[in-house]
Amino acid sequence: MTDVLGSDPIDGAAKEVAAARGRHLVLGEIVTLYALSVLVALFLSGLLVSLTGGSARDVFSALLDGSILRPGRWGLTLGSAAPMLLVALGTIINSKAGLVNIGQEGQLLIGAAFAAFVGTRLGGETTGSVAGFAVLLTLLLAGGLGGALWAAIAGALRFWRGVPEVLSTLLMVTIAANAVGYGLKKDWLLLAPAEGRSNRNQVSEQLADAVRVKRITVFGNEFPLTVLLAIALAVVVTFALSRTVPGFRLRMLGQNAKTAQRAGVDSTRYGMAAMALSGAFAGLAGGIMLAGGDFGNYQLVPGFSVSIGWTGLLVALVAREKASAAVLVAFLFAALRTGSGFLAATGVERKITGVVQALLVLALLIPPAVLYIRQRRRALNASKERI
Amino acid sequence: MVEPGTASGAPSGSATSNAGPTVGSTEGSILTTNQWRDDPPAVEVVGITKRYGQVSACDSVDLVFHRGQIHGVLGENGAGKSTLMKILIGLVVPDAGQVIIDGKPSVITDPIDAAEKGIGMVHQHFSVVNALTVWENVALGDQMRLNPEAIRDEIGDLSRHYGLDIEPNAVVGTLTAGLRQRVEIIKCLRRSPRTVILDEPTSVLSPGESEILFEGLRRAVEDEGMAIALVSHKLDEILGATDLVTIMRRGKVVAHQKTSDSDAAGLARAMVGRPVALRSEREVPSSETDSPKRRPTKPKQEHASLEIDSVHANGDDGRVLLDGLDLKVYRGEIVGLAGVEGNGQRPLADLLSSLMSLASGSVRVDGKPIACGRAGAMAKAGISVIPEDRHDSGCVLEMSVAENLFLADPNLVARRGILDHRKMTYRAERLIERFAISCEGPDAPMWSLSGGNQQRVVLAREMAHHPRVLVAAQPTRGLDVGAIEYMSEQLRQAAAAGVAVLLISTELDEILDLASRLVVLSKGRIVGEMSREAVDIERLGLMMGGAVP
Repeated sequence: MTDVLGSDPIDGAAKEVAAARGRHLVLGEIVTLYALSVLVALFLSGLLVSLTGGSARDVFSALLDGSILRPGRWGLTLGSAAPMLLVALGTIINSKAGLVNIGQEGQLLIGAAFAAFVGTRLGGETTGSVAGFAVLLTLLLAGGLGGALWAAIAGALRFWRGVPEVLSTLLMVTIAANAVGYGLKKDWLLLAPAEGRSNRNQVSEQLADAVRVKRITVFGNEFPLTVLLAIALAVVVTFALSRTVPGFRLRMLGQNAKTAQRAGVDSTRYGMAAMALSGAFAGLAGGIMLAGGDFGNYQLVPGFSVSIGWTGLLVALVAREKASAAVLVAFLFAALRTGSGFLAATGVERKITGVVQALLVLALLIPPAVLYIRQRRRALNASKERI
Repeated sequence: MVEPGTASGAPSGSATSNAGPTVGSTEGSILTTNQWRDDPPAVEVVGITKRYGQVSACDSVDLVFHRGQIHGVLGENGAGKSTLMKILIGLVVPDAGQVIIDGKPSVITDPIDAAEKGIGMVHQHFSVVNALTVWENVALGDQMRLNPEAIRDEIGDLSRHYGLDIEPNAVVGTLTAGLRQRVEIIKCLRRSPRTVILDEPTSVLSPGESEILFEGLRRAVEDEGMAIALVSHKLDEILGATDLVTIMRRGKVVAHQKTSDSDAAGLARAMVGRPVALRSEREVPSSETDSPKRRPTKPKQEHASLEIDSVHANGDDGRVLLDGLDLKVYRGEIVGLAGVEGNGQRPLADLLSSLMSLASGSVRVDGKPIACGRAGAMAKAGISVIPEDRHDSGCVLEMSVAENLFLADPNLVARRGILDHRKMTYRAERLIERFAISCEGPDAPMWSLSGGNQQRVVLAREMAHHPRVLVAAQPTRGLDVGAIEYMSEQLRQAAAAGVAVLLISTELDEILDLASRLVVLSKGRIVGEMSREAVDIERLGLMMGGAVP
């Protein structure tokens, strides 16, 4: 690139043109870099597949078929994307407040457990659609509450005892898994009554039909209505963070806690709220997984969270705390998940999608750093040329 | 400098400690014979230009730093001095122009590269690790095995040589700003630079400390042929310490002259582009020269606007920060709180910023007690604060100018909890105009503004709240003549409008210039008080030193 700005004085119009061209170049560079980076990730994935004895082309088309192309598949993908998106939205909230919550997997599981408890106790024999809907709402709220409480424990430890929330949220994932495991052993908690389940199975009762999330069908693709709820919440979160006074204060806290304190933002109050809200989103994700029908059979089982919490965290990371971007990334990651269901036919281990996902995360995180380095190097080279 | 692959892992300093720090990395011995006088200029910049968007931070700047000279670079905030210096140490890459080091055109890729090319910088904002000790901070970035003893010795040698006394084992976080700066200076000198850039070095130093610093620098310059660039906007300092002075305004070099041919008024004029009333010209400490209007006498009132009643506060480490401090500030007066830095100024400002709670005592505004330490309580009660460190508690750099203007009271520009962006922009634009904040607009990010303009944003926000009390902590620290004049006038106007103004400053000139009443802070308590008219500099100095009970 020639040095436009450093050459002899040029008139304003020419400068404008140069600047506009510069902007286009920069935009082109960004797009190229991302494309290149993703291609490299895909290439590496393909290489890996080949090395393990599969065919990259088969795997790719299987993934595409399984996630979008085959009838009914993109509906499934949407259904998987919804809880990931919710988890990501929660993560965005705590990140904006300057807090690091990485225990969504546990919060999600606790939320699902709360939802299962409430849903089976209140809705055992519910048949009416109105009553059923009321129970459904209650169980979703219970899910949110469960996640919020679980995250709030970490928050309380952080604000009253100075325990880093990174550690506490992470460690509480294990506690959550064991607590739910315990609940699934006790029939006064979550375990289904002995009749209607085979002896050894530690599962909860199924949700009654009336309290399940309604599923709709569009062009032969079926998905739960909670997908729309998740998208609506993405809009709400975006708006709340950027345009409301509490959102403004939350961002202030995240970016300069001292200034926020002076301006009347109580770090404990707002921090706790952000933590609880973040957990609530994860818990709600657990609730819609339980009542939505894409994850198991409307009942809680050990290991119910199936890494959706972790994936949601990755979604937020890749989306760079932007709710709108999180919608797309969640769909992409969900597509990898549903697509992996079709891998069996190719003879490739379906866990390969985990590797692909990780490579994609890296691919999407690398370009900004490369851009920065390139810009700097370009400027340096330009000054070297002047010597 | 240890060559890569040198067998011995010992830091270089131990080898040269007897001879004092050598200058030059490869042929240090030559320089002791003053041969540097015939050397090409240490650093020469030719036609350096750097633009940020529409704004030129540096516009075809030409400048030469010679060996054996202290070269002052004078300019207002935002004149481009900092950008130029950042280019010299490789933090910023110029759009055009070149840097010539020791006669060789060079490209400086980063600060490490700059250090290898013999350019070191002491930044205005410290980059020290507070939790580490002095020697650990100095050793940061060293490679291979650490030899604490050698590093401590080296620090000892350097501090003796340049008169920068410091305890190598002290934890940096416990040191005063002046001492922390010494750590920075020692870090820089340890790399045996041939050119040293000092960015506003005295903004945190007491006059005595500054003098010592400059003596040390003068020695380095004359004995060792160091070239020193002294970036400053303090006229006295430029006049007192430099050989040459270059004045920058709006990214351009507007004047270049010998310091001996310069005077304060001329420099100020060149720097600001118009004549300014220098504080030093008004400094005569007698009341006759000042109009009585400017110094309102204490009005009779039942309640002081601000009443601080025997407050005690301790730090996290149990240190006593405030020790029974009593202070009253009345409507319409400016009380100057004089004192040596580190005697409780910061805790007091923190207290009035709701950043600190008390062990005992009370704070009242117009007779009403305030919950100390509760978020926003002081602001709500009508105490506005211009903090000492605006990046620390004055503004949010990642947010826009408009957002920064409404940090404390976003409800002013919101309807039912939802921010009204149009209203916010409109009101921000008016404040930007009223306080003459130079920025690209209300949506410009705060970090894109120069220091002086950031300070104006803080001032605008704090004044827009119609405060009962205005606390200004070191309000002109790091500002240039024009900005100081502006800030001073704002404080006067605030007082004239009935605000109780508490001016916390370590610069006595500033207090004498502005305050109608002086109180002296020492060891966390008020040790004396005098009216401006009856000021006795000698007694004041003694009180500040803690000598008069």
